[in-house]
Amino acid sequence: MKLRPAPLLILVRILTVIIAIAAPALALALEPGFEKVEGPIADNVPAVPFVGIAYGVIWLGVLIYVLVVARGLARVNADLAELRRKLDGAGAPRT
Amino acid sequence: MKSLGGGLLLATLLAVAGFLVVPHLILAAPLEPVMGVVQKIFYFHVPCSIMLFAGTFVCAAGSLAFLFKGSERGDRLALAGGELGVLFGAFALVTGPLWGRKAWGVYWQWDARLTTALLLFLILVAYLLARKYGGPGGRKLAAALGLFAAVDVPLVYKSVDIWRTIHPKTTVVRTLDPAMRPAFWASFVLIAIVFGVLLTLRMRLEAARAQLAELRLEAEDLMEAQRS
Repeated sequence: MKLRPAPLLILVRILTVIIAIAAPALALALEPGFEKVEGPIADNVPAVPFVGIAYGVIWLGVLIYVLVVARGLARVNADLAELRRKLDGAGAPRT
Repeated sequence: MKSLGGGLLLATLLAVAGFLVVPHLILAAPLEPVMGVVQKIFYFHVPCSIMLFAGTFVCAAGSLAFLFKGSERGDRLALAGGELGVLFGAFALVTGPLWGRKAWGVYWQWDARLTTALLLFLILVAYLLARKYGGPGGRKLAAALGLFAAVDVPLVYKSVDIWRTIHPKTTVVRTLDPAMRPAFWASFVLIAIVFGVLLTLRMRLEAARAQLAELRLEAEDLMEAQRS
């Protein structure tokens, strides 16, 4: 003859299974985790200065390069004019 | 300004106009939902990176002409391209980490794209150093480096597809939101014009230097003839 388990025993078994499954979640819930932010969300890395610096670096670099090349051109052109003047004075054929 | 040609003057005026208009387009472009404002660095970081590639290819083309045809004009073109490659490479390597600091949390990562781009930049720096300090054979050595740099370009470009990286993929421009496209393309055109103007100016400087060297030789010959 097969004995049926008492309803109380069935309930105990079900509760045991539920507790076994839920225990890790309960343990995690009790540990300190993420905290909610109080007030407005503050971003610790501001983006706008980064964009400004990036844009500024490019245009400053271009400006410096143009100035260096323009200065070089002006100096070489002045040297060329001076040398041509001397050569013309010395009676050299014009190249 | 008097010495500038018509085309160069027009390009310079366009660049100045672009400098005034493009920032407005970039500000008006919609914000990217994940990265926010810092994504706007993209609008000039990518064109500068493309100009790094353009400078490298110009340098390689000039180097080829110099190595195989002995073209002095090719050598001047290579020098101008190499210098601009370093300039725009520096811009890309400064703006990229600024973007990365906000997007990734770090300025630099030894990621495939970043590392190969840095290598390309260093090869171009080596090109300029070889020209300046390489002695009598320096220009030829530099030209070989210029060709080597061009081989690195496809590797830099495809690095994000070949290796697993945190850098955006090559599809980023093709898949750009239509509302962001005007700002990107306007910025690209502006930076391309600036590149063209700088390249022309740099080549003019080298041409003038070559002319001066030739004239000095002529003056020395004349003085020698007058003495004897």
